[in-house]
Amino acid sequence: MLKYYEDADVDSPFPALTKDPISRVQLVKYAGASGDFNPLHTVEEVGEEAGSGIIAHGMLIMGMASQGVTSWIERKNIESIRVRFQKMTYPGEQIHVIGKVLKKEENNLIIGEVKAVNETGEVKVSGVFEARLPSKEMEG
Amino acid sequence: MSTVIDLIGLELAPYTYSVDQVKIKEFAEAIGDLNPIYFDEAVARQEGYDGIPIPLTFLQVIDMWGGYSFMEKCEILHLNPVKILHGEQGYKFLKPIYARDILTVTGKVADVKIKEGSTGAMNLITLEFEYQNQTGEIVAISTNVTIERH
Repeated sequence: MLKYYEDADVDSPFPALTKDPISRVQLVKYAGASGDFNPLHTVEEVGEEAGSGIIAHGMLIMGMASQGVTSWIERKNIESIRVRFQKMTYPGEQIHVIGKVLKKEENNLIIGEVKAVNETGEVKVSGVFEARLPSKEMEG
Repeated sequence: MSTVIDLIGLELAPYTYSVDQVKIKEFAEAIGDLNPIYFDEAVARQEGYDGIPIPLTFLQVIDMWGGYSFMEKCEILHLNPVKILHGEQGYKFLKPIYARDILTVTGKVADVKIKEGSTGAMNLITLEFEYQNQTGEIVAISTNVTIERH
């Protein structure tokens, strides 16, 4: 866990978070938990009509990316996260969350990069986050 | 005839929803994020939170359960449900949000763009939501870009 601003090194990667493969049951659970009942994520026929088959909720993948971020930096220090959904994710795929510090700015702000990729490195979700970290001397 | 561009500035009727501890657990578990701060208030307090905090993407729950369902949203914005994709999503956190907070959400269509892509034309519809807590503080802002293929 990166706790202090002084310890943030630009370009040094955070430890990757590896998720379990996405199951259809997980998509049903996520639909219920989030309230996103777009049938594209749970109903076979709708997936076929759309031409993609069943796909995972983009927000589930963003949720995994966010889990990665808050495994690197405490939740309370995260000020923003913004992602772009790049590729569809299908049941059976396994997500790895990777990231690094992009920049250190004034007032203890760091800008980080986060990506959710599959086993072959295809980027599903990519984005940036901002976190404000305490200084070592502030803690006393 | 009205076009998709006319949606710019459209304000969505506000909604209010409480941040429920059980819902936080359900949401974190669906993602597979078992960070104890989302499950155990004592642990959260020990880690410096004033209650159980929300996961970074939890505001989606407030929007989907408290606001408009997927189909209602499609109707309001005249979107074809099988032609749309979620393009981008952002959250800015201005103040902490904890279980038991009550959030009032106001949303609007901030922008609409029509773009010619390699696979045909598409509409990019940007929604912006502002979340205010029970003491009237704005605690978060979200931005959502929906892509509608023509």
